Amino acid sequence: MCLSQHFWQFLIPGITLGCLYALIAIGYTLVYGVLQLINFAHSEVFMTGGFAGLFVCQALVGTGKVPHGAQSVSYMLAGICCSAVFGAIVAFLLERVAYRPLRRRNAPRLIYLITAIGASLFLFNLAGKLFGRDKANIPDLYTDGVVFTVFGAQVRVQQLIIVGAAVAMMLALDTVVNRTKLGAGIRAVAQDSQTASLMGVNINRVISQTFVIGGLLGGAAGFLFGTYLNVHYQMGFLPGIKAFAAAVLGGIGNIRGAMLGGLLLGIVESVSQSCMSSQWIDVVAFVVLILVLMFRPTGILGQRLGRAA
Amino acid sequence: MHKKTVIAAAPILIGTLALASCSSSKSSSSSSSGGNKPGYTIGFQGPLTGPNAQLGINIDNAVKLAVAQANASGSLPFTLKVAEADDQGDPAKGPTAAQQLIGNSNVVGVVGPTFSGATKAAEPLFAQANLASVSASATNSTLTDPANGFKTFFRIVPPDSAQGTSAADYMAKVLKAKSVYLIDDKSDYGVGLCGNIKAQLGTDGVQVTGDSVAAGTNDYSAVATKVANSGTQALYYCGYYADAAPLAKAMKNTPYTGKTLSDDGTNDPKFIALAGAASEGWQFTCPCLSAAAATDATTMKFVTDYTASANQPPGTYSPEGYDVANTLITVMKPLGTNVTRAGVAEGLKTVDYKGLTKQIKFQPNGEVTEKAIYVYQVQNGKITELGTVDKLIAG
Repeated sequence: MCLSQHFWQFLIPGITLGCLYALIAIGYTLVYGVLQLINFAHSEVFMTGGFAGLFVCQALVGTGKVPHGAQSVSYMLAGICCSAVFGAIVAFLLERVAYRPLRRRNAPRLIYLITAIGASLFLFNLAGKLFGRDKANIPDLYTDGVVFTVFGAQVRVQQLIIVGAAVAMMLALDTVVNRTKLGAGIRAVAQDSQTASLMGVNINRVISQTFVIGGLLGGAAGFLFGTYLNVHYQMGFLPGIKAFAAAVLGGIGNIRGAMLGGLLLGIVESVSQSCMSSQWIDVVAFVVLILVLMFRPTGILGQRLGRAA
Repeated sequence: MHKKTVIAAAPILIGTLALASCSSSKSSSSSSSGGNKPGYTIGFQGPLTGPNAQLGINIDNAVKLAVAQANASGSLPFTLKVAEADDQGDPAKGPTAAQQLIGNSNVVGVVGPTFSGATKAAEPLFAQANLASVSASATNSTLTDPANGFKTFFRIVPPDSAQGTSAADYMAKVLKAKSVYLIDDKSDYGVGLCGNIKAQLGTDGVQVTGDSVAAGTNDYSAVATKVANSGTQALYYCGYYADAAPLAKAMKNTPYTGKTLSDDGTNDPKFIALAGAASEGWQFTCPCLSAAAATDATTMKFVTDYTASANQPPGTYSPEGYDVANTLITVMKPLGTNVTRAGVAEGLKTVDYKGLTKQIKFQPNGEVTEKAIYVYQVQNGKITELGTVDKLIAG
């Protein structure tokens, strides 16, 4: 009964959050696909995007009035692009500095995992040192208001922008992976990297590209998340873990699975709160994950992009 | 503060996170000059880094100012220094920070700890060392319970029980709310305060709905939706500004039209900076005096001096921090060149000092005798004083 009463009011924020989880989850899943590595430092790529967006918006808006019309759109695009680029730069450097030397030495899997965690710690503490440990607010880029209502639930400008931007980026990614030569390279390395290299695919380049693509989406997600809430040096931790869970939920290594998993996790988290105390928000997400994995150990859509590791 | 929500799926990350956020502490001394005078140190314990650092910084700056002024006045038989111990407002780091001050044998009195949770964790150590700690901000009601044995703990702010009763009466009698939604942040402070409010609202015949959301939660949209759907007439958040700000943002995204209130932990310009336009109209109850809203000459001079020395205007609990430091100095002065920890702890029991915020006099349990609760509201992006609860109820 509690579910049906205000279902739509909880569904809308759930979808918004789910889209953000999905964007981050793609970064985990792409890297896992080509390297069978859980890149725990991806949450810091997300955080970098948030800070890049913050600084761009502060420079653009300053302390002036809330922009509107075409100005809002261009600022928003500038924020997304800048944060995506910075996310990509950090992801690229991460691969170069932290993972490539290990690959060259054929390091065991566990070393990658420890390196990933170390890189994550380094990055968020660096951000705390450089940008301060207080939360920061991205200035308003548009006037938020109600656009329309569905079944009594209000849909706001902010939610439409986040969902719209996320869906557009996910569609673009799907096209890149499935229709372009770059995507074919990624899929080839994911399926069998040895054979791919024998067929003339430059594995190192493909891996770099994969990190950059994941970084673009993660950085942009960091900015969108920042406009929705606040920017903070530890902002990547929880969303990062949740997005990782979402990637596993959908089937790690599977891009569409990550999108579905993220969306599902966001919705479950939000809707479940109509029935329970908010203390359970993080518990619910992981109970769902465990339940799904009990019946479908490879996730909802299965591990399609890579071999099962 | 900053209790991370622990997720069973990632024990490794959590372990490493705990490592990473290990406390950093620094020690600074204000300049002192003066021939053969003995040197004593006033300790400060509170968050200087971390998400709620501003409240600690507000007090720390005031302490430094008070000490600098006392040294400059030339009337002290000793020279004073300040030693800072950063506990990040985290109960887990409270004892370590306290130990830093206790280990420094020059420290004869402590301003702080700042947050209730950290105070609870640190106070047994101070009691053992017979080192007096006078908090300008720790308001959890149970701290002065004699059963705790915190014999060297004093505070110059009224406890949450006083704030809780007043906040409840304010919502029931001034705002005339028939129903109130309480959210706490699961901290010692938040849970204690919301419990006190709930009890008094029950007495006032107001319908109460309660919820708790752990501090550090990122997304408050579902909670906000719940509040809006409940049809409540007032929302009261028991917690600190770092979490109240995202809650305020989420509330603005709902059709909720009732009153929004919070406590002294949220009553800070940082709340407005973080929540932006969403902070407009929020009201705060606070056992604190807002320096910004003051009109008397002494307080205005304090604002000028503070702004000059700290490079920022005084915030919440800055005047209280200044008062605590001056109370300690007042107690130390008659002890001359033989200031001991025991002497300071003993002297605080009988001190009677006119501070900026109130007449400072302690009851045997360490509570200050004067207990006024003020109400503030964000109006046009600024925190404005509405008056004391007692006056507002009287009309």
